[in-house]
Amino acid sequence: MKELFSPNAQPRRRTFALMAAGQAALLLVLWLWMPLRMFPSLGEVLRAFVDMVTTQGLIQELWVSMTTALQALAVATVLALLISYLTALPFFRPLAYAASKMRYLTLTGLTFFMALMVSSGHEVKLSVLIFATTVYLVTGMTSVILTTTQQEMDHARTLGLGEWRSFWEVVVLGKLDDMLEVVRQNFAIIWTMITLVETLYQSEGGIGLLLYKQNRYLHLDGVMAIQLVILAAGAAQDYLFSLLRRVFFPYSSLTTAR
Amino acid sequence: MTPYFYKAPVLTLDNVSMEYGGETVLRDISAQVLDVCRPNMNQGQVVGFYGRSGLGKSVLCRIMAGLITPTSGTVKVGIEQEEVTPGAVGFVQQQYPLFNHRTLQDNLLVAAARKYEPEEAKRQTDAYLDRFQLSQHRKKYPAHLSGGQRQRAAIAQQLLCSDHLILLDEPFSGLDIAMIDEVKKIILEVTTMDELNTVVIVSHDIQTTTALADRLWLLGYERDATGQLLPGATISAAHQYNLAEMGLAWHENVEAEPEFNRFVEHLKDEIRQSA
Repeated sequence: MKELFSPNAQPRRRTFALMAAGQAALLLVLWLWMPLRMFPSLGEVLRAFVDMVTTQGLIQELWVSMTTALQALAVATVLALLISYLTALPFFRPLAYAASKMRYLTLTGLTFFMALMVSSGHEVKLSVLIFATTVYLVTGMTSVILTTTQQEMDHARTLGLGEWRSFWEVVVLGKLDDMLEVVRQNFAIIWTMITLVETLYQSEGGIGLLLYKQNRYLHLDGVMAIQLVILAAGAAQDYLFSLLRRVFFPYSSLTTAR
Repeated sequence: MTPYFYKAPVLTLDNVSMEYGGETVLRDISAQVLDVCRPNMNQGQVVGFYGRSGLGKSVLCRIMAGLITPTSGTVKVGIEQEEVTPGAVGFVQQQYPLFNHRTLQDNLLVAAARKYEPEEAKRQTDAYLDRFQLSQHRKKYPAHLSGGQRQRAAIAQQLLCSDHLILLDEPFSGLDIAMIDEVKKIILEVTTMDELNTVVIVSHDIQTTTALADRLWLLGYERDATGQLLPGATISAAHQYNLAEMGLAWHENVEAEPEFNRFVEHLKDEIRQSA
């Protein structure tokens, strides 16, 4: 028990699991019997959840948003990797710098420009998401590339690998696990953006639109249910990414302090 | 004294100087490593560059490895005495870097692929793993290797892709007595692998470096006529030692010999005077 409050302690797995379960139970108890009625009750949220699943197609809407998010993430990842890796060539460094700074652009303004450039609502949604995710990914990915040390590059060069092959070995292959971590962290941003974009382009529905409607009619139980669904989907995604990292990059956790 | 004779040069530093932002780090360094031969012996050689901490030894290493170009002067390597390029000299850095995303076997295969066809690269890799007692660790990632295993792996990797000349930057730094003995064994092992193999040690460990080397160069500062220190470390004519000529090379337990210890004390005095 004492070790749970000791700095840098490593409690046993069982102790830690019990502690986490206890904290979750405490949260649930607080929610059930909290005197201040800030949130709808658990029963109300559950009823709203069932209602939305059966009458408003919550699962289908989640699927629509999820596929759009994954589509955007896939394209954005490829684009961001390309822009980041191109920083090996000084000519392209300003491009990566500019891309990184574009994360300060507002989504509403972006949507307007995208609507002028592409035709369908889906394309606007997708292009806004791709753009916004790319600029965040470029920021994270270039930071990963900048962690490359002189020693790492020297090591590759002394093996006679040449400049491009050294870059491939040290930066591309050597940091692929860190790039996956950047993608995992930035996937959360897509969920923030998708709910906003779906309210601007309502033709295709999506969980964002559902959330907007629940908000508009002050259905707090519905809002809470959707938020919890998004939270669960996000947690599942996080787990999936961690699993992918463990499977494809087993070496990546070997040097991490536990 | 062991009979020996010299053949062609394998490493030549000709008036190498290096400046960073107007500050001279190294000044007019000249040294030549000749291929030494001993009748009835099929063994390469070990030479040493000694320098105190912060003197620019790592800069000198990177210049000798072809990783940076000196401000002036040239470095030539091999029997053909061609100007050094990255990859021409095996260079084991202080932290023994390996590719952390590859297993030990794959690390060696990447290096071997430079000189050999895939089948031969695999055969050579297996041979080196065996020779450096690393076979049982072949599937491990570098993070799983001990310091000694990592060092052996880093040396094996460089040997697999370089041409006989291997540079070790501070190979004894931070090691205990047992580990130093282990590294000494590895260095001697490298020299016995091929008569042309030359190990260049760049270190601040005067005792161990002198015990292993048959040539020694002392990096230090020179003073002008007024006694002022001149900028940039260099190797003065008085600080180039031929230990073979002095009868202090190739002895099994040279560190126990009084003559060796007297010489080390002399070197220490020289180092103190150039401080």
